[in-house]
Amino acid sequence: MNRSYPDKVLLVAFLWALLLAPCPLMAMESEDCLMCHGDADMVSGSLVIEPRTFDTTAHAILGCVVCHDAIGDDHPGGSTKTSRATCLDCHDSLGHEYQMTTHAAYASCGDCHNPHEARGMKEMAGYDMNTKCVQCHESQMMVEIHKEWLPQADLHIAKLPCITCHTGSQRYEIVLNIVAKENDRIFSRYELPDYQTLKEVSDGRDILSLIDTSGDDFISIKELRHFNLNPEYKELRLEGTLVPSDVSHQLSTLDNRYDCTFCHVSGPQSLQTSFLAIPKQDGGYRRVAVEQGAVLDAVYGTPDFYMIGTTRSASMNIIGLLIISGGLVMPVGHGLLRFLTRKNRQH
Amino acid sequence: MAEHTKKVYLQPIPVRIWHWLNALGIVTLAVSGAQIRFPEYITLLGSYKSAIYLHNTAGFVVALSFTLWFFYYVFIARSMANIYVPKAEDLKTGLLRQAKFYFLTYFLGWENPHHPTPKNKFNPMQKSAYLAIMFVLMPLVSLTGIFLTNVEPLRGVIVMMGGLKILMSVHFLLACCLIAFLPTHVYLTTLGRTPMEHIKTMWTGWEDEIDVAEEDEGRVALH
Repeated sequence: MNRSYPDKVLLVAFLWALLLAPCPLMAMESEDCLMCHGDADMVSGSLVIEPRTFDTTAHAILGCVVCHDAIGDDHPGGSTKTSRATCLDCHDSLGHEYQMTTHAAYASCGDCHNPHEARGMKEMAGYDMNTKCVQCHESQMMVEIHKEWLPQADLHIAKLPCITCHTGSQRYEIVLNIVAKENDRIFSRYELPDYQTLKEVSDGRDILSLIDTSGDDFISIKELRHFNLNPEYKELRLEGTLVPSDVSHQLSTLDNRYDCTFCHVSGPQSLQTSFLAIPKQDGGYRRVAVEQGAVLDAVYGTPDFYMIGTTRSASMNIIGLLIISGGLVMPVGHGLLRFLTRKNRQH
Repeated sequence: MAEHTKKVYLQPIPVRIWHWLNALGIVTLAVSGAQIRFPEYITLLGSYKSAIYLHNTAGFVVALSFTLWFFYYVFIARSMANIYVPKAEDLKTGLLRQAKFYFLTYFLGWENPHHPTPKNKFNPMQKSAYLAIMFVLMPLVSLTGIFLTNVEPLRGVIVMMGGLKILMSVHFLLACCLIAFLPTHVYLTTLGRTPMEHIKTMWTGWEDEIDVAEEDEGRVALH
């Protein structure tokens, strides 16, 4: 998350103050809170915190009492209401950016981000970034709206996080995901599998070992090709998407996103760089670096990721040029001989 | 010139309309396709989006015109097999005879051994070339194009075919084959008795024929 320097100073000072203050509250650990709040039989509704999910959030490092600093002595009984920090206490830059958008009139931070579940962008698969958007913006309706100006709107809506275009981030990067066949039907769709499913496919080994056969925590193009051609993994495929590189809450569409060539043109450095998102046990993802130029590989690097005008293969271009040049053999070669022997045909 | 020159009505109106519609469509597809693949070098048709819309529209028109052509020859003219499929004799001796003409005797000033008639329009080499183009290249390039304009709904089929990149590569290479055919096709049309003879035929429908021995049931007008 982006925080300005004064914010960081304030946050650190606040943490130190809490640490040094001889307050009985400080004796409380998150575990103590979760003994009740992590058990759906003891509390209900929004008071239930899923401990495993909470542990993966950046907020877990701070602990419950940083945000809920005033808890009555008689908690959980009594009339004292437990205090809550506001999101803007820490995320003021992002918050102010968001408050300038039309969205702010309709949704507060908590409507999209549950502070007990929120993850950083790099801990997400890419496709899952839309789960919050579709709560209000139904996919089919979005396809209809985008169709008015966007070719293959259904494909764009299905394959891209909304915030790739609706963002202040100028740069984007490619995230690849392992997807698995939904069922045994021939034309079955491929869906993002959870950690457990992939763990079973990899026979209990690290999921990354499905692709990273050398075990160096880096995916080479050779390893990608090997994975894509391996008949053992025919139920698995790699899908790719573009995600913004920087966190931004400016949700209006950047003007340059209306120009197709912003994405559909060869060359931007972002298309050389890609990552593989590997599911983690806690429901999040970790990113593993992939060799430069993987999505530009002719056929088997990323067989299902192709962006017209962008990921064209140089070797295919050469073959195409040779074919077209072959078409000139007859006019040029025959034409030359025809010219040289023109007197023979003057009857 | 021979004494008995006759005119043969070689290309009926539906065939000519189809031919020129196809010609316009294929050139449009080639230019817009080039812009879609190389947007940073080619901007002939304006914005990228207009190139895509034009490519999709021209592709749809050519695919539709191909279908009409197919049904016209198979069900209305009923001459598809006769005109486009080489016969055993064509393969055994015809191909060699025609190749000998194109690559040897033409330069010596000999006459073309093939004389087109409405029922036997193409020489054995033309038949073989058109068989490959009209029965393999055109259907495949149209089909891959239809898939590429409907990636999301047809995702399952595309995956079964090996993925989007294979589909894209097949579409691109087939398109290159068709583009390669264009200069050869245009050049060969100039090998008539005059350079414009065959091109005029595709415009007016009538071709001059001098060999009176090869009578045909088609419409023939002596003059």
